[in-house]
Amino acid sequence: MELTINGKRRDVQQGATIAAVLDELRIDPLRVAVQLNLEIIKRERYAQTTLHAGDRLEIITFMAGGSG
Amino acid sequence: MEKDDVLTFAGREFRSRLIVGTGKYPDYRSMQRAHEASGAQIVTVAVRRVNLDRTRESLLDYIDTAKYTLLPNTAGCYTADEAITTALLAREVGLSDLIKLEVIGDQRTLFPDNEDLLKATKVLVKEGFVVLPYTNDDPVMAKKLEEAGAAAVMPLGAPIGSGLGIRNPYNIKIILEMVRVPVIVDAGVGTASDAAIAMELGCDGVLMNTGIAGAKDPVAMAEAMRHAVIAGRLAYLAGRIPKKLYATASSPVEGMIE
Repeated sequence: MELTINGKRRDVQQGATIAAVLDELRIDPLRVAVQLNLEIIKRERYAQTTLHAGDRLEIITFMAGGSG
Repeated sequence: MEKDDVLTFAGREFRSRLIVGTGKYPDYRSMQRAHEASGAQIVTVAVRRVNLDRTRESLLDYIDTAKYTLLPNTAGCYTADEAITTALLAREVGLSDLIKLEVIGDQRTLFPDNEDLLKATKVLVKEGFVVLPYTNDDPVMAKKLEEAGAAAVMPLGAPIGSGLGIRNPYNIKIILEMVRVPVIVDAGVGTASDAAIAMELGCDGVLMNTGIAGAKDPVAMAEAMRHAVIAGRLAYLAGRIPKKLYATASSPVEGMIE
């Protein structure tokens, strides 16, 4: 099924969870925040949260930057 | 310096009064070395989408979070809503309630949008955040942010990345008299003397990024800034002599050779 992850379309396995998608993308869940269709999903819910075709996922982390 | 002279906000204590950034460094390795040379204990980071193609290294591989407190910022946000969402996401990433709140009002100057800044401060304080808002050098605004529950106020010395120094030391001085929370100069510092001036005025700390990262030798500049912040703080605590128009001889006039 197709999802939009960080603004880009991506195919993932039918019925995949957030945890599975992060694993497939080789992303350490301890270093990110995840927004599913604009709702922030707590880390402890990644394994139970099943995704559906058309879902919009935002995977956020800390990057270099900031004022001063 | 007295051992108990520490920067305190929201019940946390920091020996270093210098807060450093992570942007604009030539590479992560020099950033890491500059952080070490600066002696800083707080490092500010931006909140962005993960890079899915994994070609770039992760910033977090170069910051020892056992040694540095991460201070996520809402840089790049132009509305209160954007800044609030970014802060909520930052809390999920870092599991910390610290946020350097930026709501930008104009792209060319990166001056803050004070109206939305105040709005976002109120919401995030209610959400349990320790809010450090980046604001103009406006004493009335600083007071309003304090009343809204900000844990510190961060007035700019000059526009972000401009290196123009402390453009309005008198306003900073008035802010220091008007608020009780720590005052941390954020933005504008170009070289060591700028940081020293901020500290001599009585500021509680200085945050800088470009001044170090953009220098020809970021590691050497980080060390210069460390000394400048310490020197400025010491001079403030020592109490400077008053300025006078005419000379005052420092050697006795009696006993002169005739």
